Amino acid sequence: MTTTPARTNESLVAHLLRRASFGGTTQELDHFASIDYESAVDELLDARDTTAMPQDIVRRYHVNMSDLRTRPSSAGNWLYHMVNTDAPFVEKMNLFWHRVFATGQTKLIQGKAMTTQLDMFREFGLGKFDELLIQLSKNPAMIMWLDNQDNHKASINENFGREILELFAMGVGNYTEEDIKECSRAFTGWTVKNTDYMALKMRNNTMRPYGYINWQFMFDPEDHDDGEKTFLGETGNFNGEDVIAIICKQPATAAFVARHLYHYFVADELPVPQWPHFPPLNPEAMKVMTDAYFESGYSIKAMLRALFLSDSFKSEEAWNARVKSPIELVVGTLRLAGGYDSPTGDVYGHIAAAGYMGQDIYAPPSVEGWMGGADWISTGSMVQRINFASDIVGDVNRDGIVELIERVRADAEANGSATPESLVRASLKHLGNIKVSEDTANGLADFASKGDSANPSNEHIASLLQLIVATREYQFV
Amino acid sequence: MTTSNQAKTKVNYVDTVGFGADVGGRGFHIPYDLSIRPDGRIYVVNRSPAHRVGIRVGICDVNHGWYHEFGSDGTGDGQFTGPTAITHGPDDRVYLADEELNRITVYDPEGEFISKWGEQGSEPGQISGPSGLKFTSNGDLLVVDHLNNRIQRMTPDGEYISHFGSEGSGDGEFNLPWGIDTDSKDNIYIADWRNDRIQRFSPDGAFIDAHGSSGNGDNEFNRPSDVAVDQDGYIYVADWGNQRVQVFDGSWNFVDSLRGAATVSPWAQDYLNANADEAEARARFNSFVEVDAGDPHEISSKVESYFWDPTAIEIDPEGRLIVTDTLRHRLQIYQRANE
Repeated sequence: MTTTPARTNESLVAHLLRRASFGGTTQELDHFASIDYESAVDELLDARDTTAMPQDIVRRYHVNMSDLRTRPSSAGNWLYHMVNTDAPFVEKMNLFWHRVFATGQTKLIQGKAMTTQLDMFREFGLGKFDELLIQLSKNPAMIMWLDNQDNHKASINENFGREILELFAMGVGNYTEEDIKECSRAFTGWTVKNTDYMALKMRNNTMRPYGYINWQFMFDPEDHDDGEKTFLGETGNFNGEDVIAIICKQPATAAFVARHLYHYFVADELPVPQWPHFPPLNPEAMKVMTDAYFESGYSIKAMLRALFLSDSFKSEEAWNARVKSPIELVVGTLRLAGGYDSPTGDVYGHIAAAGYMGQDIYAPPSVEGWMGGADWISTGSMVQRINFASDIVGDVNRDGIVELIERVRADAEANGSATPESLVRASLKHLGNIKVSEDTANGLADFASKGDSANPSNEHIASLLQLIVATREYQFV
Repeated sequence: MTTSNQAKTKVNYVDTVGFGADVGGRGFHIPYDLSIRPDGRIYVVNRSPAHRVGIRVGICDVNHGWYHEFGSDGTGDGQFTGPTAITHGPDDRVYLADEELNRITVYDPEGEFISKWGEQGSEPGQISGPSGLKFTSNGDLLVVDHLNNRIQRMTPDGEYISHFGSEGSGDGEFNLPWGIDTDSKDNIYIADWRNDRIQRFSPDGAFIDAHGSSGNGDNEFNRPSDVAVDQDGYIYVADWGNQRVQVFDGSWNFVDSLRGAATVSPWAQDYLNANADEAEARARFNSFVEVDAGDPHEISSKVESYFWDPTAIEIDPEGRLIVTDTLRHRLQIYQRANE
């Protein structure tokens, strides 16, 4: 008896790869379509990076990516990783946490602290939420970003205590002002080593005399308020870990994290400040994730697995329903086009391009991160998006584009001579199985017919690819 | 700081020279290589990738003397964009390699431009990413032809003489070689960067031996970037990825390992004296904090006194070891002593 391996609908695979990755190359689409959907989800979620450019190579040829002092160097280092990794879901999650726990190099000055935070996300970002919050609370970049080094036993600073409740874990309406004070008391003494000097160097923005010094967490028991606290209805001599344990068992926390995940992976929700006033778009998806949260002991990966397997996620209504963030557009296009096989100065231009489109990574507009959704699109940003994608896919000197063109040509000629329609169909497929409207398809075919579509030149195919990445449909994910 | 003393020889910390100066002036920014003139003046190449105004060669000495600087970012005569190596010739001229422009620029001792040569390529005489320079005792210039995985012997005017080495990991083969030195017998030492070893060759380029393997233990390297040999044949290796300098005798017996022990230089003290708030806060600063990381690069980012990317090393006429502590914008000085 022969068995037919389970396959997954190619359009569904393309949807999964747009959301859990940065889109898919032809090889990725073929691979994940060749296995059943649940296996595809697990493979994406469990992947560990093996292909990122080694850091010794990055540091050797980008000397500024060793001390990571400036934002182009720290952000560029991350861009290399996002473009080259074979575990793209991990990087999508890093972008997610960078958006939720928005921390800015603009204040912290040194990029090394930012990349240390990124490494923490890589290690803990798919684990248990309580452990992630503990790591976040001990993360020096977060401590300095929200001034917890100024949170003292004798005089509390509520910045971190407020944000962990409002923006990071629970959302407005689920705690009181008194809870904020008690939470802040629990985090007194959570600071960085050499506190005074480090805070002053950051404030003075000085690399003198010997460069920046990456911060390190320190618990100062002398400055910790060990007294009794009443927090979210519980009373005890709570420290930071205790407070996080209480936060994480709240239904509001599960709902808040679930809504963030839905907002990022499924469909654009309302801006976070409006969440207390409006119910979630999809209560069914919320329940799937909150159930997974409690059943797994607060596992983020379990929540996402449940989400990706849910009908809410797989529904065609969810496909192409979100606007690509600038980083999704830049990274996705570069992963299609290749060109990061060896160190290149282009990395700085590409990071800058994402900034022109509205997303400077490591420099979120505020502690609330980026709003996303329609906010990504403006007249100026659309020009930047189209120019960037068009420049990349129109560069017939890129190895990746040459390969892409060859695949398009071979596919278009699979049943004989290429036609305008087969060229369009093949181009859309190899750019990530993009679905376009009938009008758009007709317009593309009309363009394709203007050249020798039966024997298309590289330049003609590249022009067609440029036209596709300039469409409305390419802006969605 | 010393960590072991197998051969009853120690390498002791002496002093720190320098100060972070990212826009020029007295101090360094990303010092990448150095060369010591017979009169003791130290020429320090500043890579300064982020703030291009900091790209220059600064001249100082071990007694904290500061002379002047020359060169700047650009492609014109006397300028450079990716400086990697510098050396003095027997003609008292200064030779500087630029791995981005693929050329060698020649200056007089004061930094006045004299000439330039070099053509990008892989044919004999062409270069690709020159990363190390060293004159032999007979006046030939050895050029580490980094991306071509070979060592080229040239005249000071850039005329090709010969070459040795090719890509690979076998004896006499290289994987992105970087730093170079010669000993008193004109034997040639190459930091075979991505093969994690030092290779030794005869004066005519015949393979003699190799030392090291990948790792972080004694006699192991993680991307060694430079090598220096003193008058007694002791070999010093900038173990770049392990953020340390390892020392061996001429038979490769392990002698010592240096992690860094920098102190506040007079130039740095001048800065602190002029910035009372920083001096006051620094009075409570501990530069040797206990670190919760395992990666040497991460540790070095948090401990100011340690080396952070020790890239180039040289021996001065007094036998002192001078290390470019690249990401800390300073030179750390050590001296070998027998007990």
